[in-house]
Amino acid sequence: MRRLHQQPLCVASALVVPWLTLAAPTWLTLSGVGPSWAVLWLLPWALVDGPVSGMVAGLCLGLVLDGLSLGGCSQLPALMSLGWWWGRLGRRGPPIQLSFNLGLLAWFGSCVLGLSLWLQMVWLDFANSFQIQEAWGWHTLMVQAVLTGLIAPMIVSWLLLLWRRRAPL
Amino acid sequence: MRSPPWPALSRWRRWRRGWLWLLLVALFALVRWSKGAGFADAYAVLTRPFWPGSAQREWIQSGVQLEQQSKLRWLEKDNQRLRDLLDLVQSSSGVDELSAAVISRTPQGWWQQLELGKGRLHGIQPGDAVLGPGGLLGRIQSVTPITSRVRLLTSPGSQVGVWIPRTQRHGLLIGMGSRRPQMHFLDKDPQVFAGDVVSISPSSSLLPANVPVGVIQSVDYHALPAPRAAVQLIAAPEAIDWVQVQIRS
Repeated sequence: MRRLHQQPLCVASALVVPWLTLAAPTWLTLSGVGPSWAVLWLLPWALVDGPVSGMVAGLCLGLVLDGLSLGGCSQLPALMSLGWWWGRLGRRGPPIQLSFNLGLLAWFGSCVLGLSLWLQMVWLDFANSFQIQEAWGWHTLMVQAVLTGLIAPMIVSWLLLLWRRRAPL
Repeated sequence: MRSPPWPALSRWRRWRRGWLWLLLVALFALVRWSKGAGFADAYAVLTRPFWPGSAQREWIQSGVQLEQQSKLRWLEKDNQRLRDLLDLVQSSSGVDELSAAVISRTPQGWWQQLELGKGRLHGIQPGDAVLGPGGLLGRIQSVTPITSRVRLLTSPGSQVGVWIPRTQRHGLLIGMGSRRPQMHFLDKDPQVFAGDVVSISPSSSLLPANVPVGVIQSVDYHALPAPRAAVQLIAAPEAIDWVQVQIRS
């Protein structure tokens, strides 16, 4: 059986991430903020395909998503780190498949991603550091993390099941 | 000639007829004094089923709208003439408006942006102003051949020069990520109150002059180095499917 990154259909499924980021379905938002689709796709990919593939996938996703946003700060560092970490978790120890664990990992990944973006914004806009006092950053971070954590058991479990069948350990 | 059998009764009848006429005249005088009260009301009640329906009301409203549009066009022409006299750099004569569909929107979140269905091939350039019903929405950040990305006024990093037309005090509208951007005044005493309208400065050379932006919600007079105000934007990006892009020729 070929590895996950050698299967064109599985690789092509990554195109859903920028598509959903652009479509931003309003019925899947909480207080106007949507889930982190990149985290929801990267988590099962890295758990199945390992740390190197996870990091490369994080790099590719980060590049595409940075191109689709206004810029100023990048998702690359967080997505690459998460891809590497989740890949190691998938390769070492028992396989992670419980819904609660997947939800928790997605919640934590979304928190890391949001925190990295927020810190970059504060760092780049240091002159206007009054933004630190604003609740907006925390609000966006927490809402996105909660939404991603709640959706993860449904989407990540399904992708994990599908991809583990295609690329067994 | 025969005299009436009961002269007292006859006198009484004449006197009563006179009073009746007098009452009638007084009634008409009352109607005259009250500008037709009673008559007009009765007429309104009786003719209510025959009043013009909603179609005619719309027809009249469209007429009023047309009149206002022609007045606005005339005022814009006059404004343009005066701006030309003052040699102000960018004027509305060098600006074309282009309608573009919103194909993606994220008014909240880390990046607050719109994606439009028209781009470089249609003449849109970075920096062009994007207007929605009610006022300014943001500016074009980047363009591809057939799409363009708008940085909303609420987005962190958005900075636009604005003023308060009532007091003629200038300030900087800065996106804070929240729904209400902050206006940083340049004066220590801006003399503004909640409810004042915020618009683009008439001397702006980057954005269309005098375009309304929002309404002052609250003012923090104790902020340093100068007072700040929270501004509620007039145009809501959450509910807009089409926008106008002002293309600079």
